[in-house]
Amino acid sequence: MSKDAMIHLQDVQKYYGDYHALRGINCDIKAGEFFSLLGPSGCGKTTLLRTIAGFEDITSGVVMIDGKHMEGVPANKRPTNMVFQSYAIFPHLTVEQNVGFGLRRDPRPKAEKDRAVAEALEMVGLKGFGARAAHALSGGQRQRVALARALILKPKVLLLDEPLSALDKKMRENMQVELIRLQRQVGITFILVTHDQEEALVMSDRIAVMFEGEIAQLADPETLYRLPNSRRVADFIGHMNFLPAKVAGEANGEIDVDVQGLGRCHISARQAPGGNRGEEPSVGFRPETLTLLYDGQTATDREATGLIEEVVYYGDMTYYDVKLDGVDAPARLSMRNVPGRPVLDRGAKARVAWSPSALVLFR
Amino acid sequence: MKSQGNGLRLYAILYLAFLYAPIFLLPIFSFNDGTIIAFPLKGFTTKWFALMAEKGQLHQAVINSLIVAGSTAILATTLAIFAARASTRFEFRGKGAIMAMIMLPLVLPEIIVAMAILVILLQMGVGLGLTTIILGHTLICTPFAIAILSAAFQSLDKSLEEAAYDLGEGKFSTFRLIILPLVLPGIISSLLISFTISMDEFILAAFIGGTSPTLPVYIYSQLRFPKEIPVIMAVATCLVAVSIVLLIIAEYFRRRGVAKTGGKDSGGFL
Repeated sequence: MSKDAMIHLQDVQKYYGDYHALRGINCDIKAGEFFSLLGPSGCGKTTLLRTIAGFEDITSGVVMIDGKHMEGVPANKRPTNMVFQSYAIFPHLTVEQNVGFGLRRDPRPKAEKDRAVAEALEMVGLKGFGARAAHALSGGQRQRVALARALILKPKVLLLDEPLSALDKKMRENMQVELIRLQRQVGITFILVTHDQEEALVMSDRIAVMFEGEIAQLADPETLYRLPNSRRVADFIGHMNFLPAKVAGEANGEIDVDVQGLGRCHISARQAPGGNRGEEPSVGFRPETLTLLYDGQTATDREATGLIEEVVYYGDMTYYDVKLDGVDAPARLSMRNVPGRPVLDRGAKARVAWSPSALVLFR
Repeated sequence: MKSQGNGLRLYAILYLAFLYAPIFLLPIFSFNDGTIIAFPLKGFTTKWFALMAEKGQLHQAVINSLIVAGSTAILATTLAIFAARASTRFEFRGKGAIMAMIMLPLVLPEIIVAMAILVILLQMGVGLGLTTIILGHTLICTPFAIAILSAAFQSLDKSLEEAAYDLGEGKFSTFRLIILPLVLPGIISSLLISFTISMDEFILAAFIGGTSPTLPVYIYSQLRFPKEIPVIMAVATCLVAVSIVLLIIAEYFRRRGVAKTGGKDSGGFL
């Protein structure tokens, strides 16, 4: 266990009857970190969050918060506070009463508590909303009240259970930025549960990707995106193309690989971060690592040819599905749209530039 | 299509007339200056209402009914709070069967329940009186109370409790500060409905009431004396008025409860 770990999880197991919800979770979360638990529904991410909060007992293992064992410590005695998916705003209380709820047992005089409430409201941008009835608030406002209510107790860890999933896209993007700002401001460890990979990439210092009760990969967003340690993680985070490959040899940290449609190339051993669960070896690459070549352009590294099967126009970007010569399935590549560069048509022949340094090997 | 619509409208009007016309006759005859319940009306009077004040037995019956209905409402609602909370929040073995058994008196013929209770009470040598009526009424009111309170507890988001607990409150203070205020409208609604049901219940009160008549039993006993009928009409008019007021209050609180918890109104008893 590292010295600056705020949360220390060691072989955490959780059964619901016969159902094995958490299968040996090991991880340390640093103080002041914005940490995300990312995974599809049913992967155990919410269960893990509720385990840290103290709402769920674990079957075996160790949960430590700030160096203290949490076994037998109920949720109301833990140095954590939670922002619930439904926000759980008390509908019969005012905004002020909601935010100040956790201060009920605080021995400070009322005037001081009132000031704390006012400060908390200002921090989340709800200055002047104190006297409003909570049930009359909009979704985004409820979200802010829930944040203020949890942060007013100055917890060591703030737990956020899919806090943005009920908001519309614009609102969600605004709140993402605001949550990052808030986390920097208060310096509290944030643990976010989300199924939205984009949200996790945008907000987190580190992300634990979970499948079926296990952490599949724990890394910072860039590593997760560039060097996923399995096809499954690669597939879950953004889009990744896969091509069948054969490992021809390995020497001095360089792997010789025969890739369908791309031919023989050398890949650094660093680009082969994990296994592929006994599947056939393959290489993966992100859409933006392929570049369409226009007339007169030549590739700086390697070049391949193919046929454009589909064009998806996004305004700022265009996605092309290109069937490379000698490959069964089309690969997706993305091009930023800039003035003077035409969007190519479906059915056109295409030349594509690629580089072995952008490939990830799963073997 | 228009004629079909009119046919249905006529049906609806007839249906409602059949349902409510008899009740509207009560106040009409209670203000009629004549002892015979028949048209044409004789003239306007309030003497039947004045006569109500002189009937000692009537007063005793009203007091009996208030005691029974009040106690029943409190008992049934208290029991129902436990049952509704258990059935909506916890999973346990035999929950379905237990809830079905509790709700069964809702559809059980009351005469059977009344007879069974009477036989057992006599066998046990328990004296019949207000206490036995209260117990019987609690039995039949509890399912109604559970139905109302289950809806109230059901619309309560579980994370509200968890949030209060997370913010440092204990199990009991969470119940007091969060759950109770949010289900309070349901509790008031349940108290009023139970009270109303107990107030006009006749069969059980007649069977196991012994020599302590409740208002419905008293009214029935007076129907044998034709000259008493106008007074009974006046009593009945008062009862209708009180019942309507109680039900309106109950529905008001039920709706307010739904609005407060931000739930969707799925319709109540009214």
